[in-house]
This record gives sequence, structure tokens and C-alpha cells, in this order.
Amino acid sequence: MSSARPDRHYLLRQRDVPDIHQLEVYRAHGGYEALKQALEANQPDQLVELAKASGLRGRGGAGFPTGMKWSFLPKDGRARVLVINADEGEPGTFKDRELIEGNPHQLIEGMIITCFAIRAPESYVYVRGEFLHGYERLTAAIREAEAAGILGAEVMGHPFAHRMFVYRGAGAYICGEETALLESLEGKRGNPRSKPPFPAVAGLYGRPTVVNNVETIMNLPPLVLKGADWYRQWGTEKSPGLKVMSVSGHVNRPGNYEVPLDWTLAELIEAAGGVRTGHQVKAVIPGGSSMPCMPASQLDTPIDYESLVEAGSMLGSGGCIVMDDSTCIVRAVARVVRFYRNESCGKCTPCREGTYWLTDIMDRLERGDGEMRDLDMLLDVSDNINGKAFCPLGDAAVGFLVSAIKHFRGEFQEHITGQRCPLGARQYDTAIH
Amino acid sequence: MIQLSIDGREISVPEGTMVVDAAAKLGIEIPVYCYHQALGPLGACRICLVEIEKMPKLQTACTTAVREGMVVHTGGPAVEKGRQGILEFLLINHPLDCPVCDKGGECFLQDYSFWYGSGKNRFEESKIQRQKDYPVSDYILLDQERCVLCQRCIRFLGEYVGEEQLMLEGRGVHTVVSTVEGQPAHSPYAGNVIDLCPVGALLSEPYHFKARPWNIEREETVCSVCPVGCASLVTGRDGHPVRLEGRPQPDLDDYGFLCDHGRFTYDFVNHPARLEQAFLDGKPASASAAVAAVGERLARVVEKSGGGAVAVLTGAVHTVEEEWALAQFARESIGTSRLAVLKPVAGDLPLPLLGTYADLAAATGVLLLGADPYEAVPVMHLKLRAARRAHPVAVWGLGDRVLTRSTLPGEDFVAEPGQVAARLGVVLGGEALDGRWAELRRGLLETERLVVLWDGADPAAAALLAALAGQRGERPTAVLPTHGPRNWLGAVRAGISAEHAAAARILEDAAEGRLEALILLAADPLRDFPDGDLAARALERVPAVYFAGWFAPEPRHALSAMLPTAAWAEVTGTYANMEGRLQVAHGAAAAPGQARPVRSLVTALARAMGHPLRLPDFDPFQDQDGDRIARPAKQPAESAGAPARPALPPGEWRVLTGDMVAVSHPPSEIAERTREPLPLRLHPHDADELGLGAPGGLIEVAQGERRFVAGARRDARIPAGRVFIPRGLADVPANRLDHGAGVKIALADPVREEVAAP
Ligand SMILES: Cc1cc2nc3c(=O)[nH]c(=O)nc-3n(C[C@H](O)[C@H](O)[C@H](O)COP(=O)(O)O)c2cc1C
Ligand code: SF4
Ligand code: SF4
Ligand code: SF4
Ligand code: FES
Repeated sequence: MSSARPDRHYLLRQRDVPDIHQLEVYRAHGGYEALKQALEANQPDQLVELAKASGLRGRGGAGFPTGMKWSFLPKDGRARVLVINADEGEPGTFKDRELIEGNPHQLIEGMIITCFAIRAPESYVYVRGEFLHGYERLTAAIREAEAAGILGAEVMGHPFAHRMFVYRGAGAYICGEETALLESLEGKRGNPRSKPPFPAVAGLYGRPTVVNNVETIMNLPPLVLKGADWYRQWGTEKSPGLKVMSVSGHVNRPGNYEVPLDWTLAELIEAAGGVRTGHQVKAVIPGGSSMPCMPASQLDTPIDYESLVEAGSMLGSGGCIVMDDSTCIVRAVARVVRFYRNESCGKCTPCREGTYWLTDIMDRLERGDGEMRDLDMLLDVSDNINGKAFCPLGDAAVGFLVSAIKHFRGEFQEHITGQRCPLGARQYDTAIH
Repeated sequence: MIQLSIDGREISVPEGTMVVDAAAKLGIEIPVYCYHQALGPLGACRICLVEIEKMPKLQTACTTAVREGMVVHTGGPAVEKGRQGILEFLLINHPLDCPVCDKGGECFLQDYSFWYGSGKNRFEESKIQRQKDYPVSDYILLDQERCVLCQRCIRFLGEYVGEEQLMLEGRGVHTVVSTVEGQPAHSPYAGNVIDLCPVGALLSEPYHFKARPWNIEREETVCSVCPVGCASLVTGRDGHPVRLEGRPQPDLDDYGFLCDHGRFTYDFVNHPARLEQAFLDGKPASASAAVAAVGERLARVVEKSGGGAVAVLTGAVHTVEEEWALAQFARESIGTSRLAVLKPVAGDLPLPLLGTYADLAAATGVLLLGADPYEAVPVMHLKLRAARRAHPVAVWGLGDRVLTRSTLPGEDFVAEPGQVAARLGVVLGGEALDGRWAELRRGLLETERLVVLWDGADPAAAALLAALAGQRGERPTAVLPTHGPRNWLGAVRAGISAEHAAAARILEDAAEGRLEALILLAADPLRDFPDGDLAARALERVPAVYFAGWFAPEPRHALSAMLPTAAWAEVTGTYANMEGRLQVAHGAAAAPGQARPVRSLVTALARAMGHPLRLPDFDPFQDQDGDRIARPAKQPAESAGAPARPALPPGEWRVLTGDMVAVSHPPSEIAERTREPLPLRLHPHDADELGLGAPGGLIEVAQGERRFVAGARRDARIPAGRVFIPRGLADVPANRLDHGAGVKIALADPVREEVAAP
């Protein structure tokens, strides 16, 4: 049985408290209490333990246990850095944007707690370039915090000094990948780096670095105040807690939903007002366009990390894209493949050339110029990318395509035999996009 | 050591070795594009996929370090499919240029497609069109369509050389290599990217459309331009050299990088100024007539005044065998012991200290003593940077100008002009040294393995170097001489003295009328001897000067005869580089006109003299010394300072000089493109005061009655009040100026100069 929806928001607090982006309002509603408590307790290692005990996992896509990531930092006395990934470029995902715009102080508070835990005198936020409003909100909040003595030479009277910098990206999806992000932050071309060395050992400017997602770190203030057990009341043993799911597509109320991680896809869609009246769900991508899609028959799958993997997909960043029966799956795939072609950084051969080729084939199919052998060729080319690219973007580019051919092969074939879209969908206008 | 198995064979390699290199040790070739040992892993091209047991996916052999017990398979269905997939991807946007591509037949995209490709083509869509024949420098063309984006070129210039002049532009499938801000890639090491490029994307402009692999001869040689003697391959076509490429020497840990001064001057052998025809008394003569006449005249001198009335100076650019033949000719046929190498510097390296490139690679401290490796011996600069990439190396510059640079940072100690050795003497003396100088002393004495790059300019430094080695005791000290000529150590091996005093004695004897004939083998005393005035007096006084070589020195009317000799790339023979290592070079071109090898010339001369010369067998490789020339054992040395120079009157400038291969390389029509129009250097403040524009302009350098005009560039590495004049510059012969006295400098009036020009 799924856990009940919490009676209030812990991350999207702006939904409950208007103007919480202002320091005064945030403080009036318990803001920076967690930080104060953490500083007073003065036991940074306990905070790392708390993160571990809570089972909190990274919300940027990979779901890596957060406390464990922090404890990978080498204990060699070098100054550490926290970098917040607010690049949020994954199609179907828009949670970090709303979190930063509406509740920036909780991010700042979470960052200072994290930095206190890992002893980082500096932190950076890499904000997606298009998020101008979020950038301004966050910068203003940092200025407020500085003026209030929450950031600077002292943090709320504690000798722990901390400086925070915000950097705007220049509009590349790949810069959400943590090592490409670090390159970009250093002013270089946003290409992923080889690992090892991992950022924990040699990250920003070679310093030991933790990269965490916005949402991940915003969990810290309530965690510090309420404890690991409180957090574990939601979700599963391995995937505890709450997750902000971005629901988009053919639902009645698209938007962000802060839900327990043991909910099912069906429950999530229900919360988003259900699918449009008169239509049925055709397919769902649960975790952003990088993930394989699932047919309607799998809607009972819970959204925790493990269950989605078992069902052949992944939770990813929690961007749940709902497609109803009016969707031309060929067109959807063509669009997504083109996105990855455009966003491939160009560093490695299979992703750079393979996405170009796949896009051309998909365009041909969509136009009605496809041939039956193209389907196997699509799968073969995908296989030549999958697992052979330098970074996960290569795999991401083919996840939806391969799953779509698996679940909807008939629809692909109809495009070929009928030489047109059986649903009458217009061809995607490549001159514009 | 880590033990692992590759294709069923066990091997143990040091920790940190990449799987690709471990496989290479077993003779198993894993294809690579982006990986290069000098650059380290990148993981971009993905061609090196291998299967490693217990790993779910294929792994790239170039980014995966070996681990104990690892089991690697470099073949099998999964690997083959993976590789075929990558090759297919690389070809989808690759043009069908093979028949017109300079690299056709020397291309790894062709080779790997042939070896590992599927042989099928499934791509029906259209290929992306990009820039072709895009000049990235004066010498290099880029064909963006052929590029496989391995980034070797970018990383070589940016990381290995430290001059970021190429970059990736655009994203995804639209990514291309381009220059930074449209500026040419003018690094003197840029030409290496042609060799590094695994495909036909980066091309040598001078070689463009010149030859195909099946109509060339590609022979192992060494660069002839400076004493680094970089290993290379010379390509000959129709009897002419048409290309020089780097040649890696894995057993010497040498990646085969060249500098562009060496790479693009091979055409000197076909330069219009090349001596291809014999001249006698200023008039063209047949080879036999000229040789007969010279032989007879020499015989008459010997008969009348004895062999001692003839002296021989060699410019030491011919092979060791040829220098040896010359020495035999001098001793046996003429009967003279007046035989010496003409060096452009007065210092004599104590040979026991002669170091190796391996010493440099292992050095913990490097002293640049008067030498600026970047300009004088460019690939030494790269070797230094490579050592630095491997482990920390302290670099100190001690000279009369700044010798470190942004790509080779270190501590500079600038001495008064002419006081470099004196300064070193003070440092070694150790008395009353202030902070920085005391640090230098500590560094020099205490660094574990010291290598000195010495320009040989200040003779007093020789004894000090020996003293330094003595003070360092057990800690190894090695010296690498950066001065020319190219094969002076080869001439030493051939039994010819390279001591400055030996050449000076010959010129003094000539100047004082004690010589009746002077034979110059590729030697130009007026240009190269440190005391140009002595050289001038000598040439004026000696009744006959016989020149043999490649480029006759000016003024030619002073030469009684000019006899052409075969040059580098036209003979097979041996050279010795600055570490005294003997290097074999093969010929790939034909000697033009009447030019012939020295051995043949001297036997003909001997015959004409009536003393046929039988040259016994000669092997430059001495068994007991392997492939390096013999070095005498160390002798203890006394340290000595140099006398201080008096202060200059105000308004006078100090003259500095040093080697610049950009100036000293042989005449080349290709290298004309990058000829430095402003070879002199002044401090920017001085330039401002003179009213010299940016980057520079013409100045007049005057001393007494002598006036010279040349272009000068602003350079903050030259201390104020000093003017740097590269050695061997025809416009301003630094060896004709008294460095102890000052010179006057003024802006040259370009209008007047133009009128004055003949
Ligand atoms: C192509 C690609 C794009 C990514 N984009 C984002 C992103 O926009 N935001 C994000 O937080 N993580 C993104 N990630 C994941 C990050 O690499 C990294 O795992 C994450 O920021 C770590 O934070 P977390 O542990 O808190 O999730 C992306 C990864 C890949 C491969
Ligand atoms: S898979 Fe390769 S080309 Fe694609 S984004 Fe990653 S590194 Fe760049
Ligand atoms: S030009 Fe050549 S070396 Fe440079 S990236 Fe392309 S293929 Fe590699
Ligand atoms: S460093 Fe000297 S030997 Fe080497 S390529 Fe350059 S000029 Fe030739
Ligand atoms: S050689 Fe290994 S990825 Fe390029």
C-alpha cells in the first residue's frame, strides 16, 4: 500500500507559504533553524551520518546515495568545494527551476549545512542559462543571507566562513553532466572529463569536489530538524523519502508534485488530474527523455529507483512524460532523437555521429520514406552507441528509441507500409527546430 | 608491478599503465586514434574498445588502467562489432577523398577500415560539408571534413606545448577543429600536428599534392638544422627532399617531435644559393678542372713552405665520416696539424660533463646558463616541458637576459652583460650572497640531479661547470651544450679539435701572415667566429682561401675556389647530436650538379696533389662507448671568475647575443614565409623612449664608424639598456661589435634606408 501524501510541502514550500523566497518570510517559518542547530551541535561528521542514515539519494538522475558521495572525499587537508547542479536540461524535468525560483533560501540553507558537513569554504551554483528568473531570485537571496550574516566571514556567529558563487550556464544540456559542468564552470568547453579521477578527488580546479542536485540538497534542512526516521516514513527501504516529480504531457494538470517514492505511476498521473478526458494513456517516460518508455500496461509500477529499473526504465530526474493515444510514437521518438543529436557535445564518435545518423533515419521514417530494414538498422545503430559512448548521454539518446520499437513496433511498421503517419500527425518541422 | 592477462598471455607492467600500452608490450596492437602516450588518455574516439572479464560493457583500452588479475580480450565478436560500429560512424561524414588525399596510403582511417571494418556501407543520408584546405598556419592546411575529432592536434599544442592555438568549435556533429579567434597557429611546434593527425585532416602545405606514397622514398634521417638532431624521416621524390617528418624512437622515450625550423627547411638543399657548380678564381669551372687546380696549388704551397702553411677549418655540418675524411686529408695529404672546428662561441665544454636527454628527462633541477632553449634548440624546450609533466623540475635561468618563459616558468637571475660566468663564480664561491642568489646556490648544489643547458658563450663558465660538478659531489651533474655547429661533436669524434683556441690560433696565424692557404669546409669565419674582426683580418691576409661546402660565404671574391659538396639527405652517414649520440642518417635525394661527398672530393684533391689518399675503414661507433662518442674521465677543476667590466658612459647600450635557430637555419624558400622581420630585441620601455612602434621597427645600431640597420621587436625579457642581436644575423653581425664597449641606438629613418638601399 502506498504511503499517504504528506499534508504539507517540505521542498516546494512556496506552495504553502507565499513569498517564502524572502529571507524574512523564510525565517518566520522556521528558515535557517536547521542550520543554526547544525552549527550549534558543531559535529560535521554527524551530518554526514545523518545523510547516510536517511537513505537520501541524488535527485539529479543517477540516484547515488548522498551521504556516501560525501564520504568519498579524500581526507588530505585540501580545501573542498560543493557545486550545485542547477542546469536542469533534461526534457520533461522542471522541478529545480520551480524550487530555485520559489524557495531559494532552502537551497542556500541546505548548501551551508552540506558545506559545514564536508568542510567546504566555498560553494558554487551552476544555473541553467535560461533560468534568468531563478538566477535573479537566487542571487538576491544570497545577498540577503550575506547581509544577515548567514554567509561570509562568519556563518550565524559561527567561525565557519563560507562564500557562495552563482554561475549561469550557456545553454548546453551536456553541462548538466557533472564533469562537463565542472569544465564549463572553469570557463572551458563543456565536454565531459575522464573518470577517474572522480570529482571527489580532483574536481573544480583540481580540488576535491562534491556535485549535488538542487533538490537533493534542499532535503537537508528538514532532515536536520526532523531526523532520518521521519524521512524514512515515505518510500521504500532503498528509496526512502519524497521526490518532486515533474508531470508533463497529456494530463489535466501538468506540474510538479512532491510525492512519496513508493507511489505508482498511476497514482502520480491521478494526482496530476489524470489523462485528458476521452483518452487513454499510451506510454509514459518516468524519468525524463533519457529514459526508456513504459506502455500503459506497466502503470502500476511504483516510482522508486529499483522498481522502475526492474520494469525496464529508470527514475532519472523524475520528469514523467505522459503520452496518450493521440501521440504518434514515431514522431515523439524523432523529436527526442533530434534533441540528443543537437545536444551531443561532439567529443566521442558514437554519440556524435550515431545521433546524426539516427536522426536522419527517423526523419525518413516519419516522412513515410522508411523501409522495413530500417527498423533493425535503428536497433543496430543504437546498439553501436549504447554502452560505447564516453558519457551517459550516448545511452540516453537511444533509450526511448529502443524501448519504443520494442513496445510499438507495429506503429513503426505502419509508417513504412502506409508511407505516412497512421494517426495523421504532422511531420515535425525541422526547419524551425 | 601488476599482473594481468591479455588474449591469454600473461604480462606484468607497472601500476598506472593503460591496457593499450600493456598490450603493445606483448606485441598486440589495439587500434587508437585519440590516444597518444605523450598526451595521455582522452577516451574520445572509442576505437580501442576491448572486452574485460567481469565488466558489463566494453571498455576503452586507452583509458583503463591495468588491475591485478584483469583478463582482457582484444578480439571476439563483441569487440569486433564495437570497432566496426565506430569505424562505420567515422565514415558516415567522411568524404570520399582518398584518391586525392596527401595522406592516402599513410592513413589510419584507411588502415583500420581495411583491417577491422565491415566492408559494407549502410549510410544513405547526405554527408555534412565543411571547410577544406583551411590554412591554420603558414605551413599547415586543415580539411575539416576529413577530421575524426581525435583532438590530438588541440591537446598537443594546448597541453604539451602550452600554446593554445587550436580548439574545438561548434557542438555535436557540427564540431570542427579551428584556430583560436581566427589567429594562425604560429607556434614553432605546430608542424607536429601534421604527424600527429591520424588521418588526412592536417596537411603540410609545402607537401600538398607533391607525392603519393608509392612514388616516394621515405628514409630514416636526423634533422640537420640544430644540434638537438631530432630523429626524423625524409621523403624524397625525383631526387629532391619534399618532406621532413618526426620519427618516434620508443627505446629512447622520444615521441619524434620536431620544431618547424627543422621541419620546413629541408628545401635548403635545393635553394638557389646552393653551390652546385665549382668556381675557380671567381669563374665557373668544371669540377675536374677546379679540383686539379686546387690540388696543384696546394701541392706547391706544401712543397715550398711545408704542410704547416695550410690550415683547415670545418663548419662541422657534414657527416662524421666526411669530417674524418677531411681530417685524414689534412694530416696525410697536406701534412698539417692546423685543423679545427669553427664554433660560433668561445666556450669549451668539459667533455666529461656531457649529459644525455635521459639525464634531462630525469632531472630535478635545470640551469639555463645563457641558453634560451625555445629559440636556440627548440625541441629541448619540449623535452624540458615533458620532464616537468612527469615530475617536479626546478628551472633557473642565469644569463644576461630573461631565459625562462611563460611556457617554462622558473626563477631568473639576470647578470650584467658579459658577467654570466662571473656571477656563477660568485654563486659557487658562496660568500656574501643575498637572498635570491643564496637560494640559487642552494638549489644548484642540493638538487638531486642537475642538468645545465649551456650556450657556451662565456668561456669562463667551463671551469665553473666543472667546479659545480665537483661541489655537488655524488649528485649527478650533466651539461648539454646548446651551441652549434650541428655536428661539432661528430667532428670531435672524427679527431678534429673543437676548442676555441685551436680555431683562434689558425685565424691569428692567418692574420699575421703565417699561413699561405686556408681550407674552409662549410665554414664561414666572418659570420660565425666570435671575433669577427679577427676573422676579417685573417681572410684579408691569407693568400688563398679554398671553400668547399653547400653555401659559399660572402664576400665570394675573397675565395680562390669554391667546390660543391653533397649535403644532408644526399649522403648516408653519421652525425652526433648535443648529447654526443651518434645517429645514422640515410640519403633520400640526389646531390645536385657537381656536388659530391667530401670523401670523394678529398681523395680527388689528394690525387691532384700527387699524394693519393687511401682512406682506411672508419667506424664512428666505438665499441666501448656504444652509440655515444668517447668522453674522457672527470678531472677536478678549479673555479675561476671572470673580470668585471667597466661601466658604460650614459647613452650607450649593451650588446647581448644568443642563438636563434630562426636566424641560423640554412636558407630556405619555404621558411621564408615565417622569416622574422624584427630579429633584434629591446625592452618595451626602451622601445617607447626611442619611439619605436608596436611590435617594432627599424633601428640603427652604431659603434664607432660602424653602422647597421635592422628590425627590432619589443621584448620584456630583454633587460632595459640592452639590445639583443642574434648570432649570425647578416644585417647586424654581432661578432663585429665589441661587446665590452657600448653601442648607440637610434630609430632608423626608413625613407633614408630605402634610398640608401642599392
Ligand atoms: C547528460 C547528462 C545530463 C545531466 N543533467 C543533469 C542536470 O541537468 N541536473 C542534475 O542535477 N544532474 C544532471 N546529471 C547528473 C549529474 O551528472 C550528477 O550525477 C548529479 O548532478 C549529481 O547530483 P546528485 O547526486 O545530487 O543527483 C546529468 C547527467 C548526464 C549524463
Ligand atoms: S556521449 Fe560522447 S559526444 Fe555524447 S555527450 Fe557524452 S561525451 Fe559528448
Ligand atoms: S585535425 Fe587530425 S589531429 Fe586534429 S582532431 Fe582532427 S583528426 Fe585529430
Ligand atoms: S630542434 Fe633542432 S634538430 Fe630538432 S627539429 Fe628543430 S632544428 Fe631540427
Ligand atoms: S584511442 Fe581509446 S578512445 Fe580513442
